Amino acid sequence: MTTLQNARKRPIFFRKAATTILSCFTFLSLCLAISCMCWILITVFSHGMSAISPGFLLHISKPYGESEGGIANALLGTLCITLGSILIAVPPALAAGIYLSEFGKQSRVAIMLRFCANVLMGIPSILVGLFVYVLLVVSTGHFSGFAGSVALAIIMFPVIMRTTEDMLSMVPNTLREASLALGMTRMRATLCIVARSAKNGLATGILLALARVSGETAPLLFTAMFADTWPTSFFTNPTANIPVLMTEYTTNSPFESMHSLGWGAAFIITFIILLINLTTRLFFHENKH
Amino acid sequence: MQRADNTFRFFCFACAGIAGLLMAAIFAQLLIHSTETWEHFGLSFIWSCQWDPAQDDYGALPHIAGTLLTTAIALLLAIPLAFASALLTSESTGWLNKVLSQCIDLLAAIPSVIYGMWGLFVLVPIMQDYVQPFLAQEMGLIHLPGCAWLLGEDGYGSGFGFLTAGMILALMILPYISAVMRDVFHLTPAMLRESAYGLGCTRWEVTRDVVVRYGIRGILGGIFIGMGRALGETMAVLFVIGNMMELPAGLYSSGTTIAATLANNFAEAMGLQKSALFALGLLLLLMCFAIQFASQYYLNRISKYRSDAL
Amino acid sequence: MKTNIKLSARNINFFYGNTQVLFDNNLDIPSNQVTAVIGPSGCGKSTHLRIYNRIFELYRNQQATGEVLLDGKNILADSVDILKLRHRIGMIFQKPTPFPMSIFDNVAYPLRLHYKLRSKEIEERVEQALQAASIWDEVKDKLHTSGLALSGGQQQRLCIARALIAEPEVLLMDEPTSAIDPIATLRIEELVMQLKERLTIVIVTHNMQQAARISDTTAFFYKGRIVEVGNTDQIFTNPTNKQTEDYITGRFG
Repeated sequence: MTTLQNARKRPIFFRKAATTILSCFTFLSLCLAISCMCWILITVFSHGMSAISPGFLLHISKPYGESEGGIANALLGTLCITLGSILIAVPPALAAGIYLSEFGKQSRVAIMLRFCANVLMGIPSILVGLFVYVLLVVSTGHFSGFAGSVALAIIMFPVIMRTTEDMLSMVPNTLREASLALGMTRMRATLCIVARSAKNGLATGILLALARVSGETAPLLFTAMFADTWPTSFFTNPTANIPVLMTEYTTNSPFESMHSLGWGAAFIITFIILLINLTTRLFFHENKH
Repeated sequence: MQRADNTFRFFCFACAGIAGLLMAAIFAQLLIHSTETWEHFGLSFIWSCQWDPAQDDYGALPHIAGTLLTTAIALLLAIPLAFASALLTSESTGWLNKVLSQCIDLLAAIPSVIYGMWGLFVLVPIMQDYVQPFLAQEMGLIHLPGCAWLLGEDGYGSGFGFLTAGMILALMILPYISAVMRDVFHLTPAMLRESAYGLGCTRWEVTRDVVVRYGIRGILGGIFIGMGRALGETMAVLFVIGNMMELPAGLYSSGTTIAATLANNFAEAMGLQKSALFALGLLLLLMCFAIQFASQYYLNRISKYRSDAL
Repeated sequence: MKTNIKLSARNINFFYGNTQVLFDNNLDIPSNQVTAVIGPSGCGKSTHLRIYNRIFELYRNQQATGEVLLDGKNILADSVDILKLRHRIGMIFQKPTPFPMSIFDNVAYPLRLHYKLRSKEIEERVEQALQAASIWDEVKDKLHTSGLALSGGQQQRLCIARALIAEPEVLLMDEPTSAIDPIATLRIEELVMQLKERLTIVIVTHNMQQAARISDTTAFFYKGRIVEVGNTDQIFTNPTNKQTEDYITGRFG
């Protein structure tokens, strides 16, 4: 057979051109994505800044049409609801993560539960809202901030469970063996040694989950609802919260002043969420090295 | 001591069991509360187009079609973008790329309702005044035979509708797809890439023939995860979809999705309508289950690869 | 007999970031011979090999200075087309690197990459390459199954076939048998000795017996410097340098 010297070559120019086009495309699309993000943040910032004033942060929200409202009650309500959801979700989620990484591992039950957690993470948040609505609102007969907490807790639960598992399984096995060899019980070894050495990772997981749910709106629509009062009866009455306030004020209201309040609230919540996100990322990043 | 250990173990197991219990409970509850609908309409509920509370006649097709259409648009736009940004952030190692990839991840941190508000106040007017007429008139898409129905009669829209909703969804799901793809690209062994370069491949050829082929399952898994997000997203879609309970008439037309219908009507619905809404919820849940099954299947295959490689 | 010099490295310095790992090295690779590069691990022998096809340029923090002459032309010059260069110089790695595609597509890949050929001709050339890599008999009935399903030794020979099909002038081998069992290793060694009829081979190895068995020329690297180069027989029986002798007699390494 003859050598390839005389065979027809693919022009190198076109092959290189394809690569150049690809490089340009990847760069442009990254720019597009990031500029859209900046656009969103700038929109929130520019609309929101004008609304921010001491009264805005200290006054209670007012019914439609009344001026001089604030978001103080909604801010407090959101705080209560998310704190409630942490209290409900974190202990069992940590225990569940411990089960997957320390006891269940690759057993059939653990694989199934891990799969359930993954699927649960993909369930639309509005369906969780529906679920809690029937579970707590219909059965008790009233909307409540507590129902909102439960809904957010259900969304958080699988996220924390899976990150806990991931973080614990990164702890080297020798550490477990060493602590068991000292005569510790499984429980003490897990809680005092394994979980402690992974505590930064666990904290990151919880904080990121918290950041994720604190902006969730859909599950609160049918559970916590909204109220123009301070969240005094958290367990029995609708509770004011930022996401629903934003939704109502900016999209369902004809009043310009309410739009502005809504954007102000959007600014506050976005700021808080990004702050949590960035600090945890930076914090965790430093710990990894 | 032994007893305490066993109790602890059982406690952990019970907590993990909550995951399974919740999944089953959500499914069972939607099923139970929608029985009335299934008894009343049978399976024809799925392909009926009516939504008439006065006549108590309900059908799911416009909602399903709207959900699928917005998801399809979102995926079409998001996949190339996510692929490109994952490629760029995974292949090079400079600090700039680290910052950029962190920025992409931050897209996932912005609450969905903010996307919705941005869509309503910023994107909708722009779509109406510039983008929609531009696509239809300047680019002449309206005169192309296949595209005419996509853009509606005259090529002008209100700015609301499937295209706008799909664009916002694309931006929302981009970080999820991109994050999975980035992990997948990192999994390609360095030696495999080097050996492709060693044969005289260009970067694009290495990506197409080695990196993508090697990680195709993970890429599919990531796409399915993004798809699941797009299917069930409520707040980002709600404000810009237009909320018309009709079959999609084109990309510019208003419509609805299952999640948007639930958010809009659930609070006031009574009787059969409420049951029909639960039935819609059940359909959405089933779609999400199917997508999650698919994504977990593909992603599990990838993690097996990983353990083989080690 | 005076041999032609195929590849000639002149004053090569190499840096990972700010760390210098190769120091002002010179090495001539004779044409149609097997040249073995030996030395303790971390001495820079793989790094040296990776300069010849400029694969190190994939990594931003790696940098080489000096000249490498291929048939008298400096291939480290910016004007050299890197795709053409890698077409002329094939490379085999520590571990087999079959692509995630069928055996046939693996071998045909470089052909399809660089040439426009009729499918009939591609088939013929694939068979030829597989025969040249002495793996044809083992895979001829399963050409369209995945290349990943083969054993390690077969995968490595598949990669050699893939490198051969583009008719390179030089074949770089970076510890090609380090992940392969002894019997498969022997087959690859036989193959290497056959192949030197057709092309020039540079093989990096940590296995001194291997170097002694198959190479014509041997270069000994130590701490980033080429300590001794010479005829393989001479290096292994009568090294002039003390360090070479210590290494070869197993006093360190």
